[in-house]
Amino acid sequence: MITTSPARIVEDHHGITEQPAIDVRGLSKRYGKLEAVRGITLEVRRGEIFGLIGPDGAGKTSTFQILAGVMEATSGSANIFGRAAREMRSQTGYLTQTFSLYPDLTVAENIRYSGNLRRIPPHEITERGLQYLQLFDMDRFADRLAGQLSGGMKQKLALVCALVPQPRVLLLDEPTTGVDPVSRREFWDVLAHLTEEGLTILLATPYLDEAERCHRIAFMYQGEILQIGTPTELCTSLGAKRIELRTADLRKAESMLSRETGPDKDIIDVQRFGDRLDLLVRDADKERKWLTEKLKGAGLSVDEMRVDEPTLENTFVARLRALGRKADTIEFPAKKDHSSLRGQVAVGAANLVKEFGTFTAVRNVSLQIRNGEVYGLLGANGAGKTTTIRMLCGLLDPTSGTMELGGTSGNLRSEAVRKRIGYMSQKFSLYDDLTIRENLDFFAGVYGVPEEEREEKIRWVLSFSGLQGKQDQITGSLPGGWKQRVAFGAAIMHEPDILFLDEPTSGVDPLARRAFWTMINRLADGGAAILVTTHYLEEAEQCNRLGMMVAGELVAEGTPSGIKSQQSGHLIEFIVDQPQRAADLLKSDTERWRVSLFGERLHLIAEQDPATAIQQTTKRLEENGLHVISAREGRFSLEDVFIAIVEQTRPQGKPVTQN
Amino acid sequence: MRKLLQYLFNYRLRALIKKEFNQIRHDRRLAFSLIVPPILQLTLFGFALSAAVSNVRLGVVDDNRSPESRELIATFTESKSFRLAGYYSSVDQLGDAISQGNVDAGMVVPYDYARDLVRERQTTVQFLLNATNANTATISRAYAESMIQNYDNGLRSQGVSARIQRVTGSQLGLRGQVQLQPAFLYNPGLVDSWFIVTGVLGLLLILNSSLVASAAMVREREAGTIEQLLMSPASTSEIIIAKIAPLFLLLFLMMLVAFGVVKFAFGVPFQGSVLVLLCGGALCILSGISIGTVIATFSKSAGQAQLTSFFINPPLSALSGALNPIEAMPRWLQPLTVLNPIHHFATIVRGSTLKGSGFMNLAPNFLGLLIFTLVFVSLSIWRFRKQLS
Repeated sequence: MITTSPARIVEDHHGITEQPAIDVRGLSKRYGKLEAVRGITLEVRRGEIFGLIGPDGAGKTSTFQILAGVMEATSGSANIFGRAAREMRSQTGYLTQTFSLYPDLTVAENIRYSGNLRRIPPHEITERGLQYLQLFDMDRFADRLAGQLSGGMKQKLALVCALVPQPRVLLLDEPTTGVDPVSRREFWDVLAHLTEEGLTILLATPYLDEAERCHRIAFMYQGEILQIGTPTELCTSLGAKRIELRTADLRKAESMLSRETGPDKDIIDVQRFGDRLDLLVRDADKERKWLTEKLKGAGLSVDEMRVDEPTLENTFVARLRALGRKADTIEFPAKKDHSSLRGQVAVGAANLVKEFGTFTAVRNVSLQIRNGEVYGLLGANGAGKTTTIRMLCGLLDPTSGTMELGGTSGNLRSEAVRKRIGYMSQKFSLYDDLTIRENLDFFAGVYGVPEEEREEKIRWVLSFSGLQGKQDQITGSLPGGWKQRVAFGAAIMHEPDILFLDEPTSGVDPLARRAFWTMINRLADGGAAILVTTHYLEEAEQCNRLGMMVAGELVAEGTPSGIKSQQSGHLIEFIVDQPQRAADLLKSDTERWRVSLFGERLHLIAEQDPATAIQQTTKRLEENGLHVISAREGRFSLEDVFIAIVEQTRPQGKPVTQN
Repeated sequence: MRKLLQYLFNYRLRALIKKEFNQIRHDRRLAFSLIVPPILQLTLFGFALSAAVSNVRLGVVDDNRSPESRELIATFTESKSFRLAGYYSSVDQLGDAISQGNVDAGMVVPYDYARDLVRERQTTVQFLLNATNANTATISRAYAESMIQNYDNGLRSQGVSARIQRVTGSQLGLRGQVQLQPAFLYNPGLVDSWFIVTGVLGLLLILNSSLVASAAMVREREAGTIEQLLMSPASTSEIIIAKIAPLFLLLFLMMLVAFGVVKFAFGVPFQGSVLVLLCGGALCILSGISIGTVIATFSKSAGQAQLTSFFINPPLSALSGALNPIEAMPRWLQPLTVLNPIHHFATIVRGSTLKGSGFMNLAPNFLGLLIFTLVFVSLSIWRFRKQLS
């Protein structure tokens, strides 16, 4: 399926690529007083996907800009294939956080334009453009306007534009923000392919489940690199284990265990998910015993306790905590008590249908969200999530079906109902041209937060966003992650008992995301009904219940574990000597979605029992000269399940990513 | 009453209005572009569009050289309209000067001018015009006529009556039989700029208020914040009132400045009550804003909104009778001016400033503006919620 570009093959034979593709030594960047990058050193090998992770403001974007040759370093060197990054601009492709496409040009015109800029002969542009479009499964959309593409497709198009001039190094700064899981996996599959062809990729991402697909990772903090290694090395370097604990009363268990938690204690971290707690502990066996006793003593049942390796996210948060960055600051000044509402149906929808002309955006969606519950609505871009939310909160009238909101089914738009609702729309919930303070004043005013509480509430939002003392900054000048924090704060200042959050954590760093979820859980504990959408399924596990939408329909619903256990088949993890070749081979044998590559690890979803599947697949791989180093049954992640569900509906003729 | 006020200015509306003011405050260009360009345009249009001609260079052949003839010449040269370019000794010299373009007009006073006046006989003064620019020539002729008229009135005797006859270029050398005939005109220069300025005022108010309002409304949609706003407990009318109020204040300020320009730069007499003017202006601004808000609810982006207002505004101004007489429009179009806010405002301004008309006389126009505003504001409130689907 992939035609390797001739230029790269030649390089391979001459073997001139032993030197590192990217070589950064003692690199520093200073903006006035602020030192964004402080003497970082790293080497990226040719054909490697190298991830930069770190909280917002760690210096990742500055590093990218220097490597892309668009900014000068204050000191140190940044070389690409042995020459200064600035001189190698023609050999690097750079994808920024914001879309760099022309929305009024078609897909093909965008590609042609970016090729022409680099003086690529027209026939080569056409040829390669088509080749990459096919690779991304986008060749059907060549004549579509870029502005009409979904977020995922836009990012893929931006990548095609960056690839057409055949760069040797690709710099991707948070390329998947706002991209749905299906497109994201396709995007990563393509990246894996490209590196196999010899392309070197340096990438930053706030999503650590995604970062696990990198070959190596550098962990940046306050302009310095703290650690470099493979994802596994990073996870094990913590010397900790993760215990998944399932118990009936999560809230009680969490608050009890939190008291015993700290960077220097035996329990390093407690994180609450929708149906379990994740504990990061130093000694799993010792802690198991201790936990069982402790919980029994408090009258809590231990339904299940499982020991596993820590995830990259666990590691990241634990490291940041150890560095003294606290996730939460002052306590939310709650003045209302919604706990009496607990258990009532806050949002009830029956057979919602929405048609736009001949296009049915949402068909027959029925769902209920009760007070005290966090409900996650998942779906690919264009699956109808946003339309559904708009109907659920009364912004949009359904074509048919009935709606109940906060106990009323009459006028959903009445002032009384809307006062009880908090709403954070996708991306644009603040006024960019106002200062942070003015925005908060406005939201407090329009939602009628009593005058005497305002100051305290606003102070809380500022502290929650980590923006104390910056309240007079113009909101538009804030980076995306910070804006989201303010918007989230603004949406809950009036303590709604029904809360709609449409992709609240998009572009927010892991630590801040933890603070978001702590707050979401706290509001739910207080009796609020909360609906959240997200593209990041790792965080979706923190919901109590999930609904998955495909092509306007709700195709699966249940608790995170329930949905995972419903998934048929088994996930098998292989470690193979040539992962990409193995993945290509297996993809040609079975449906493409069953195979995906996570760095060095290959995931296969097989329908047979695990032993047979391992045996058969190993045989198949060995026959083709590939060596299997290890194989074991793994557990489905929510993302695996989601992609399987979406892909299984594809053959039924349902458009999956449609605008 | 107090309750109504409390309702009108509840905490939500206060928050909404404050937000709009803050946005305007951060957008310095808006305030600037609301005050400076309109005033410049008003001044420019008032002077440039005016048909007034001044400083026409006049060459004189005075064969009479009497006090009477000098008095006649002085009547011309002391007016704003004509400027003495020089005396010539013969008609031929004067003709040459005209054809070389040294003077625009020429006057020949015959040797028997004073004598004929004294004898109360009709006398003939020759007036030559360079008609290369037909417009200037026509206007100069009108000036000349009116000056003779004035001069004539000044004479106790009825001896002089003026008539103008057309002379072709080839006849220039001849002593033509040109008679000046009295014509009953005002001073055309002044009336002209008054007419233009009072008309342009309405154009500017409608144009600016519709543009500013549509921009402010559509910005919310373009930025995507409209969803957040619609989800808040604020009602649609509160949202729209909050949008309109600050803009109204700004535009009202602009209008006051514009009235100042009209009065002091153009000397338009303010015969009627200022209250009539201000009320008319306020209604005119509101109807302009309502046009803008309606446009905004139909547009997806600022670009679209602007193009739509460019589509609406020029015909609105061209067919308003503000710059050209309604009587010059096709008969079937004339009744449509009833729907045109610029027309109503122009009528109010002219009626009030020039004639001193009061509310009673202008009631139909006030009613027209009021109905227009109410219909358009309601339309935009109704459309506002539909924007999302």
